Amino acid sequence: MAQRLALRQLLSLTPRTLPPQGPLAPHGRAFRTSAGCRSTFNVQDGNDFQDRVVNNPKPVVVDFHAQWCGPCKILGPRLEKMVAKQEGKVLMAKVDIDDHTDLAIEYEVSAVPTVLAMKNGDVVDKFVGIKDEDQLEAFLKKLIGA
Amino acid sequence: MPPPGQTQLPDWDGLKLRVRTLIASHRVMIFSKSYCPYCNKVKELFRSMRVEYYALELDVTADGPSIQQVLAELTNQRTVPNVFVNGTHIGGCDSTYQAYHDGVLQKLLGDSKDAEPYDYDLIIIGGGSGGLACSKEAAALGKKVMVLDYVVPTPLGTSWGLGGTCVNVGCIPKKLMHQAALLGQALQDSRKYGWQYEEQVKHNWEIMVEAIQNYIGSLNWGYRVSLREKSVTYLNSYGEFIEPHKIKATNRKGQVTYHTAETFVLATGERPRYPGIPGDKEYCITSDDLFSLPYCPGKTLVVGASYVALECAGFLAGLGLDVTVMVRSILLRGFDQEMAEKVGAHMETHGVKFIRKFVPVDQVEEGMPGRLKVTAKSTEGPEIFEGEYNTVLIAIGRDACTRNIGLETIGVKINEKNGKVPVNDEEQTNVPYVYAIGDILEGKLELTPVAIQAGRLLARRLYGGSSTKCDYINVPTTVFTPLEYGSCGFTEERAIEEYGKQNLEVYHSLFWPLEWTVPGRDNNTCYAKIICSKHDNNRVIGFHVLGPNAGEVTQGFAAAIKCGLTKELLDETIGIHPTCAEVFTTMDITKSSGQDISQRGC
Repeated sequence: MAQRLALRQLLSLTPRTLPPQGPLAPHGRAFRTSAGCRSTFNVQDGNDFQDRVVNNPKPVVVDFHAQWCGPCKILGPRLEKMVAKQEGKVLMAKVDIDDHTDLAIEYEVSAVPTVLAMKNGDVVDKFVGIKDEDQLEAFLKKLIGA
Repeated sequence: MPPPGQTQLPDWDGLKLRVRTLIASHRVMIFSKSYCPYCNKVKELFRSMRVEYYALELDVTADGPSIQQVLAELTNQRTVPNVFVNGTHIGGCDSTYQAYHDGVLQKLLGDSKDAEPYDYDLIIIGGGSGGLACSKEAAALGKKVMVLDYVVPTPLGTSWGLGGTCVNVGCIPKKLMHQAALLGQALQDSRKYGWQYEEQVKHNWEIMVEAIQNYIGSLNWGYRVSLREKSVTYLNSYGEFIEPHKIKATNRKGQVTYHTAETFVLATGERPRYPGIPGDKEYCITSDDLFSLPYCPGKTLVVGASYVALECAGFLAGLGLDVTVMVRSILLRGFDQEMAEKVGAHMETHGVKFIRKFVPVDQVEEGMPGRLKVTAKSTEGPEIFEGEYNTVLIAIGRDACTRNIGLETIGVKINEKNGKVPVNDEEQTNVPYVYAIGDILEGKLELTPVAIQAGRLLARRLYGGSSTKCDYINVPTTVFTPLEYGSCGFTEERAIEEYGKQNLEVYHSLFWPLEWTVPGRDNNTCYAKIICSKHDNNRVIGFHVLGPNAGEVTQGFAAAIKCGLTKELLDETIGIHPTCAEVFTTMDITKSSGQDISQRGC
């Protein structure tokens, strides 16, 4: 899709929504009730993915999405909501495939939305396309429990 | 020395020794004549390979004819060029080129340079319709292929993804916006068909652009995936030749990589031309910007009368905008002019203003905020025109992207005037390992399906053992102006030029699409015309239709024309009723008869 350079530079200032995880996090482990603002984050680059997804001690679901994809806009918030319900046991990383094409290619993403379940750096589960809340809940529970 | 006045007999033994010595002491020995074009071709081949050769011009050498005789005895070849590589006789021009293509020449040259293999079998510069088709075909045939695609942003900063002009700023968004405009017309017609609704129907530009750009985004991604699936390496980098067989690739961040290949294909396409008047790049947009414009263009001046200009003017007017088209001379240059004028007349009837025979010469400058002031001069007199518009869309032509990719470095000749690349009927440039396809070709049609076909067939010839060449004859096209115009074969002007008016019979008819009757739209506006060659069984050599769904109508007839359609076959074909296309099966009136073709009733 076409972009105007100036506009893109402006919009690329996506805020980091999550401070680094770890036992020394200043806020401690607070359970947030606002819809997933702590458990969901946007991946910034390859290194960020390595740090916060691959090397994360917690399981992470990775939502590969695109601005031009209608179903992604439905699945995204739904998945975020279900992740938030898991009370911090699982995190969610969002990857825009146009911004991070290398990452998308590395993980063999063809169609979007593609959601990977990652544990200890390995892809243990995945699905493509929209799922309803119950299906998402089951998917997440399986990831956490396994 | 013989006494003066006596002809010297050739010293055959001496000449044979001389010839053998020349062959043995030069890596590449070419017995040539200075005026011989085949000799030049062979020399160019070696030059392009950066291989030194020694050429003996037999027309200006003493004993030239005798040497030619010696060669004939040695090699059974009387002609020049007569080429030897490292002592081995290759032959003439054709044989040398064949040896080059087969790799035999390179083996004989036995360089240490050639011992190092190339990075890729094929590198394609340009990831558009032609480039992608060629790359996927070559990869399917087992070759190692790289595609480079890089979009230099427009003066206003617009850029886009993989797929080339057609997908991003050409056919695809154009047809979608054309459809948006047609739907507006359909809404108007709908009331006559009984649809009742209170709301005033308005058009929202931003919603349309977002939807279209979302679709294009999915296509960009689809191409990336398909390149990956076919194992084609893709670089989003600007490619330039720096030496034979080697390019430099620069990405957006300025990082540079180098790559070599045995064969290259140029598929860099074109970009809109600017008129070179003050303010053109700062204030005007082109089709590159229009399809992703984040705001509605408003009152628009379209400069140009190409199909790009008329199609854009057409759908902008269809969306309800105030549109003016500024034309220097004729509409749709290269197309059948009778049809072109009808296309224009229909647009004018439907509210598009035309300013004929004017060119913008001066200040496109900011008038009030968000408005541009244009000054134009008549091409025929001293009149000046001044107007104010929200947007000025320049559509005066497209230039090939061949100037800054290092072609001079490797000796690829281009047409200096328009940047286009002359090729032979196998899409090969003057440098044997460089081919070209698509819009940049000199003298070929600028159409996506043509580029795709040429790209695929080229890959099959290079790597699949095929000899099929691309057929550029009778390629059908359609102009998607509000009243669509589809054609295949000769324009009437070209047919008259080629065959002579007396050898042609032109059948024509006006028609009224059934769907337009109820809403009472444009009677006696849609038009059908076929041009037949009298002395060839009344073979249909030109097909023209002006009416709705012209593209869909024309496609089938193009296949029929490829099968040698004649007027008789057309008459024997029974029409499908009620359609627009059936008019072609019942055409009786010829232009030469002068009869009236206006329609009354069914």
